[in-house]
Amino acid sequence: MISRRDFVKGGVALVSIGTTAQSLLKGAVAFAAQNPAAVNAAANGKILILVQMAGGNDGLNTLVPYADPVYRSARPTLAIPEDQALPLAEGFGLHPAMTGFKGLWDAGKLAVVRGVGYPNQNYSHFKSMAIWQAGDPDLAMYDGWLGRTLERLETAQHDPFLGFNIGGSTPAEMYSERVSIPSVADPADYGVKVNWKAAPETDARTATLMKLYEQYPSVSPYGVLLETTVETAMSSSRQLAAAAGTYTAAVTYPQTSFASGLSVLAEAIVGNLGMRVGHITLGGFDTHSRQLEDQQELLQTLDQGLSAFYADLAAHGKADDVLVLTWSEFGRRVQENANEGSDHGAASVCFALGNGVRQGLYGDAPNLAKLVDNGNVPYTTDFRSVYATVIERWLGTPADVLLGQAFPQLGFVAA
Amino acid sequence: MDEHPRPGLFERRSTRRALLAGTATAAAAGAAVAVAGFAGTSGHSPAKPAAAGGDTVDGATPEPAVDLTRVAIADPRRRAAHLLRRAGFGGTFAEVEAFAALSPTEAADRLLNYEAVDNSALDARLARMNLNLKKAGTPPPGQGNVLQDMQRWWMARMAYTARPLEERMTYIWHGLLTSQVSKINGDRAKLMVTQNELFRAHALGRYDDLLQAVSKDTAMLIYLDTAESTREHPNENYARELMELYSMGVGNYTEDDVRESARAFTGWRFTPPNAGRPDVSGLTQAELRELRTQAIADWEPRFVLNPRLHDNGQKKFLGRTGNFGGEEIVAIIMEQPATAKFITRRLFTEFAHFNPSDQTIDRLVEVWNSSGHSVREVVRAILVSDEFYSEASYRGFVRSPIEFMIGMVRSLEIETDFRPMLRTPGRQGGQGAGGLMGQVLFEPPSVAGWPGGQTWLSSSTFFARVNFLDSFLFTQRGGANPIPALVGAATPEECVDRALARLVDGNVAAGARDALVAYARGITNPQLRAAGVAYLVLGSPEYQLA
Repeated sequence: MISRRDFVKGGVALVSIGTTAQSLLKGAVAFAAQNPAAVNAAANGKILILVQMAGGNDGLNTLVPYADPVYRSARPTLAIPEDQALPLAEGFGLHPAMTGFKGLWDAGKLAVVRGVGYPNQNYSHFKSMAIWQAGDPDLAMYDGWLGRTLERLETAQHDPFLGFNIGGSTPAEMYSERVSIPSVADPADYGVKVNWKAAPETDARTATLMKLYEQYPSVSPYGVLLETTVETAMSSSRQLAAAAGTYTAAVTYPQTSFASGLSVLAEAIVGNLGMRVGHITLGGFDTHSRQLEDQQELLQTLDQGLSAFYADLAAHGKADDVLVLTWSEFGRRVQENANEGSDHGAASVCFALGNGVRQGLYGDAPNLAKLVDNGNVPYTTDFRSVYATVIERWLGTPADVLLGQAFPQLGFVAA
Repeated sequence: MDEHPRPGLFERRSTRRALLAGTATAAAAGAAVAVAGFAGTSGHSPAKPAAAGGDTVDGATPEPAVDLTRVAIADPRRRAAHLLRRAGFGGTFAEVEAFAALSPTEAADRLLNYEAVDNSALDARLARMNLNLKKAGTPPPGQGNVLQDMQRWWMARMAYTARPLEERMTYIWHGLLTSQVSKINGDRAKLMVTQNELFRAHALGRYDDLLQAVSKDTAMLIYLDTAESTREHPNENYARELMELYSMGVGNYTEDDVRESARAFTGWRFTPPNAGRPDVSGLTQAELRELRTQAIADWEPRFVLNPRLHDNGQKKFLGRTGNFGGEEIVAIIMEQPATAKFITRRLFTEFAHFNPSDQTIDRLVEVWNSSGHSVREVVRAILVSDEFYSEASYRGFVRSPIEFMIGMVRSLEIETDFRPMLRTPGRQGGQGAGGLMGQVLFEPPSVAGWPGGQTWLSSSTFFARVNFLDSFLFTQRGGANPIPALVGAATPEECVDRALARLVDGNVAAGARDALVAYARGITNPQLRAAGVAYLVLGSPEYQLA
């Protein structure tokens, strides 16, 4: 009889971090039936990296309809001049800061979905984010769309990095009662420190602390949760450190916290930690004033960070395994405001990039001559169609159950 | 000392098989309280009963069930410490001693009847801290950033108040009747202090008065969009959350009730800030901005009804028809049996444990009804109950980050200005220790508040907890900050016993004390030893629970 502790100490983390006791027990039973030496099948799987552009990114100045007269007249100070947009197709061009994305487009590795939104657009950041994160405009589903997806992708082996978030806490789209994920804001914080610095586990104080957790009886209050959380924390910290030890970035990442977060994701991917879904946020898109400067800087951060990430993965032979998808809770009003900015709007754009992407513009272009809700971009493509496409065609699990109904898939994932 | 207080179920060293059998046994007992902490999270997300017997492995023999709701905590000091953790943020050594001598009724009354308790030492301390609770942007000379100072203000109140239950209720209301400062926006952050004072003023009053008052609170009017709601375009946000989260719970009203009641809150507004000087020509952008932040700092908004924007028509709400305003809507909600059940259950799960029986809730509903919805009387009934003092309740919660930090300050009687709680070691700025642990005061993650319960514990928050202790108790150069309560100990054993008594009721797993003593013996410097022992006990599994 192998003890539960032996499973964990054997180097394979037993459960996802913070998982509930019930699933822990089920997991233990399921895992007991497996060959302990089983290979990490998930490590060979396809990986989705979700990038949240928080604050409501102005889709019209990201994928620019540069020739549209409505666009030009509504934005006397904000419109991107036709000769500066980086042309893609059908009269659309990228924001001039997105030169890396233009290169990926030219190489056939970038898709853009236009007019993404949902019925009865909610103009509150909080509510609209919640809708995107739940994958449900009615907010009847309590957990996140990726949390539900991760439950399907969970294996008996329970890789702790199955889902992996760069940030301080679990983002709502990754929330699940059964699968929890590590959130790492900074790998430097992901381990026990002594005198404010990373220190080996053999430090006497840390070793004594571990002893306290080992001796805490599993049947005491929260015994399983406490012991497993700490054991998993220590083992995943070791795994991440080991991955960092073998990984050397093949490119120089830009000096932004977004890019350094991407390099941590790359480290976990190259280190074969079993990740299927990664998540990272770039915030600040709520450009009510001085939009030209702010959005320029943000899109440049996005473009340079993801370009470096792609190049790094390609150099490590991992580019075929990774698809990046971006989203934002809404776009912005067509008419610019009095402060050289734009206010909360409706439909926006999503990017998909990677070797598994089929280049192109997807979703119908919204008709700017027929605006909705006092001057907003009408949606043409339900955001759940985007989700359904990546869930089914990239992650390989049926989408309709996870989204509550079937949605038409878009063709941006190559078969 | 109370080294082995637990019933036999807790004493077995467990294999995986025994663990499975033990949990299945608890589940089979029905209430699943033997491992109460497993059964669910507090508040918004309803507790999920463990699947009865579903996870037994072959050959495991179910053992006799022990219903821990019926097993009383025996030791008087442990009972007192438990009460002071739940009804406050932890007891000082003297408080635990004093409460240990009281009957449950005497102890509850001492906490509940705080109006006569002198709190002038706290007021004097807060004045000395010279905090900026009003002004965004450039703070007044000698003061700090408004949001940081607001957090320091409230943490100091929690840690140094002579009225622990007053702060506890304020904390409970902040987690239930939520607003997020990020939506109020930076310039107006101070509105969250006003809301906080409202919670304190209504801490133990009638729930009707609290709900009426918070409906008109400026931060709430902004947070749930009432301030945007007009006759032509009623905003349903407040009406929905009022019923779903603040009173009845889902399933007790219809979408029509949401739409109709939203009309009643249209035109609810607040008075704007003083526009400042009329002639602003010739001012720079920076000067204009300074003028604006000062005007907001001086602003004391009052609730107003704008009759032009208010819908005066007939509304049908929960089976009644009338020309209801928001006040009538709240009054009708307060008459609902669903509200009585929802709020009394919430209060029980804030104080006692996650699995009250139907009979328990029925009893609390009687108190609620007979007292005119008095929060004081319901809390009293909970705090004197056997269930509150049961082994199911003891350590049945995971400490929140705030309870983790404030409990340390109170139980070890540490002097701090709370700047270390807002620091992110190794970085400028950052989200502070609370943020890394997952809790920033005035910024719950959503309208549903902090999900709490076991969600407080994850791999990253575990590191955040122990690394906060490292940065709070030790210096970067290898020194230690003084802990007077422990430094005076004559021997390593005494140092360990003092820390165990103050922080975990002297009640830890077998072997823990030996491990701590072995560690303490290896350190000769008393200050380093005290900090190291404090670190370990504060980082221990037992201290993570409340």
